[in-house]
Amino acid sequence: MGTLITLIVSGLAEGALIFLMASGLSIILGMMGVINFAHGTLFLWGGYAYMFSYYSIRARVILSVFPDAFQTGTQGGILRVTGVQLQAGQYLPFSQELLIFVVSILIAVSVVFIMGIIFEKLFISRVYGNAPAQILITLGLQVVFTDLVRVIWGPNMIPMSRPPFLDGVSSFAGGRIAHYNVFLIIVGATVAIIIHRVITKTRIGMVIRAGLQSPENVQALGINIRKYFTVIFACGAALAGLGGALYMPLVGNVVSSAGMNNQILAFIVVVIGGLGNFMGSFLGSIFLGLMGVGVAVFLPAISVVANVLVMAIVLVFRPDGLFGKAVNKS
Amino acid sequence: MSIRINVADQMGSKKMGPLALVSLIILVIGMFVLPRYLKNAQLIMMSRIFLLAVYGMSYDILRGYTGFINLGQAIFFGSGVYMGVIFLNIQNDLTYFMLAILAISALSVIGGYIMSKIVLKTGGVVASAMITLALGEIVRSIAERWRFVTGGQDGLPMRASRVALDPLFETRIGAYYFALVFLIVMTLALRQFVLSPTGRVLLSIRENEQRSRFLGFDTNKYKAIAIIVSALASGWTGVFFAVIARFANTDYLSIQYTLNALLITLVGGTGTLYGAIIGSAFVTWINNFLLTLANSYPGATILRFPMLFIGSVYILLVIFMPYGIMGGIYRLQAKLNLGKDK
Amino acid sequence: MKSLLKAENLVSYIGPYTILQGVDIEVGHGEAVVILGRNGAGKTTFLRTVMGLVHTRSGVLELDGQNLAGMPTYAIQKLGIGYVPENYGTFDLLTVEENLRLAMWKEDAETMERRDYVLDLFPDLKVAYKRYSKTLSGGQRQMLSIARPLVNNNKILLIDEPSKGLAPVIIERVALALREIKKTTTVLLVEQNFALACAVGERFYIINEGKTVENGAMENLIKDKELQAKHLGI
Repeated sequence: MGTLITLIVSGLAEGALIFLMASGLSIILGMMGVINFAHGTLFLWGGYAYMFSYYSIRARVILSVFPDAFQTGTQGGILRVTGVQLQAGQYLPFSQELLIFVVSILIAVSVVFIMGIIFEKLFISRVYGNAPAQILITLGLQVVFTDLVRVIWGPNMIPMSRPPFLDGVSSFAGGRIAHYNVFLIIVGATVAIIIHRVITKTRIGMVIRAGLQSPENVQALGINIRKYFTVIFACGAALAGLGGALYMPLVGNVVSSAGMNNQILAFIVVVIGGLGNFMGSFLGSIFLGLMGVGVAVFLPAISVVANVLVMAIVLVFRPDGLFGKAVNKS
Repeated sequence: MSIRINVADQMGSKKMGPLALVSLIILVIGMFVLPRYLKNAQLIMMSRIFLLAVYGMSYDILRGYTGFINLGQAIFFGSGVYMGVIFLNIQNDLTYFMLAILAISALSVIGGYIMSKIVLKTGGVVASAMITLALGEIVRSIAERWRFVTGGQDGLPMRASRVALDPLFETRIGAYYFALVFLIVMTLALRQFVLSPTGRVLLSIRENEQRSRFLGFDTNKYKAIAIIVSALASGWTGVFFAVIARFANTDYLSIQYTLNALLITLVGGTGTLYGAIIGSAFVTWINNFLLTLANSYPGATILRFPMLFIGSVYILLVIFMPYGIMGGIYRLQAKLNLGKDK
Repeated sequence: MKSLLKAENLVSYIGPYTILQGVDIEVGHGEAVVILGRNGAGKTTFLRTVMGLVHTRSGVLELDGQNLAGMPTYAIQKLGIGYVPENYGTFDLLTVEENLRLAMWKEDAETMERRDYVLDLFPDLKVAYKRYSKTLSGGQRQMLSIARPLVNNNKILLIDEPSKGLAPVIIERVALALREIKKTTTVLLVEQNFALACAVGERFYIINEGKTVENGAMENLIKDKELQAKHLGI
């Protein structure tokens, strides 16, 4: 029972992270008809931007309060970060730690949001309606911006700890539950609710729902849908960036291969959830998160192929995904 | 639309003029004489160009002739390289080389068949690109974990000290001819495939899949054939590549090598087949150029990431030269011919 | 007479294909004009060209003297051209209310007044106001599609085959509504259903193979059986 609870919580946390990736991907695909092969790079940039801000701000704060704190050396590429270790008995107050964490997250999300605007304006807007060119161009961006990360912050893995106030583990009904996992589930659920409310209650949501069916008819109602495309693409990017920022402390390090790996997870979710189906992506993410954790514990031998296996099975039996396509465009 | 069809005519039905034929013969003879005047490093580069040209052509069969974007193509190429190294490590002779070819043939046919079964269900270009990317990355990560066979991230070197396929050739010149002959044979074979009735159907699928379906063709069956043929050609190229590279690692299986194939076809022009030769020369040259540059400026970290530059070139190509070099030439010719008709 | 919408020798294309090869149509303020012609003659394409959904290659295309060629669709709509596309174009995932709200330029008192007028015109929509439009019948969708542009103060309303796929009883109701609408708005109607065209149109144009071939007063066409047989196959 205890193990089961531990597994479910960490599975849901994984699912929440995948959802942050997949939701943006799914909306962009459904409404704009663009599949973003650079989504993993945006995720990665979120992670690195978070790592860099968190390290830099925290080191500065700590050194200003405790000048005698131990510096563990620098690492990185063009931009370098310095690890700072507090002496025994020293700690920053909760409010400061919280502020450092929140500000770093905000910086990461803003960086990726701006990248999203640039990607859309400079590249993707040139190839609307041309699926092959979209695939090729976003794939190129993926490669270039992933290598750019390696140039800027170095190719090596950089350790990334969780903020102290989220680092604990509690016992609950015999299971051990990491606080960070609970935090991820809360973030994931909050984001899901916000997205749902935006889609059902706001004007931009109306445009999204209408655009899923026919961008052309939206234009014919006097709405400049291109403007919405830019905003929606950037928001999707920002969600991926948030996912990246929250992912790195979960796994405890930052490494440039994380982008592609998570992008593939998100792709699998989008495929099994049904292309452009937001609800499908939500359920698919939770399913994949739980399954990933379950397989890792009970069937570690197939853990590498489990996701792709699921995708293959779903495609063979339900080519439109488990939950169907959002709308059939005529 | 009309220009595209002209491109196809250019490739096939029209007979080659005597001038073109003579210059082609001179070119081929020149290629056979050339190695006498090349250094070892240049010989290796030329051999790579020949082999990657075949890889590019095998990709073009899919991308150019059916419009299908396979982001897992490197699976077949990389497996070929592994097969080559593994078999020649058992025994370094022609028999084991042929066994490697046999093994990769079986693997490519089965792999291509499974891939087509999974991918063609959903139909769309977008979904198949996503799925093949996932398949490719999974194969790569399996290979990375399967250290016992693949050597993991360290890669798998060929044990033969200097020359692969020892009795066949003792110097790099041998490898050059080996690659050149492979290129010529494969060019003729793939050309034959493209011009065959099957190839014609593939072209009509690219132009208008629905129409082909209405005409009674089982388009998925033809696409599956294209995937398998393309997988076979990529696999074989991989085995030949192993002889030149004498080393296998998971890079050959990764998206990086799929991207190389894409870039080769893009530079040359998709759907032109021979364009891949130009594309391969360009891609190999730029790789070499960056490598030399990185060696001469060891301080410049940025030069250690060639994909940064290659990726940028690739993005610019997609935006500004979507038809590539050969595609551009064909288009120009088609336009000139159109002018003549008037 | 100063015309509101003017097309002169209009040529338009989709990709490599030229679809319209010389269309001359003028619609004056307050008129109700019908475009007739066989399937595939280019009627729908003409409306789509006006809306900028199909690109103009050459010729004149003006609204109130302003050139429309090359303008983006949303800007053309904002000039005051209401558009009722072929096959309704209503949004399945939006309610009736949301479909109308999405169409509004602004949500001021005047717009709300027009909305109430539209809902009175189509009582079905008032009943189904909160329902998702994918639950509506074909006739109701067509009504919603016609109602949508009417929430704005348009100069002209382009309507593309409102009778398509509807039962005769429903077509009669649509015809009644259109007769009401044309009292206050300039209407340009594309229609295959001759009865509906007669009920609404004051003047007609006939398009054949991408060109306007005939035009005149509707009464003349109703009388001229030979012309009907030649171009409309009636």
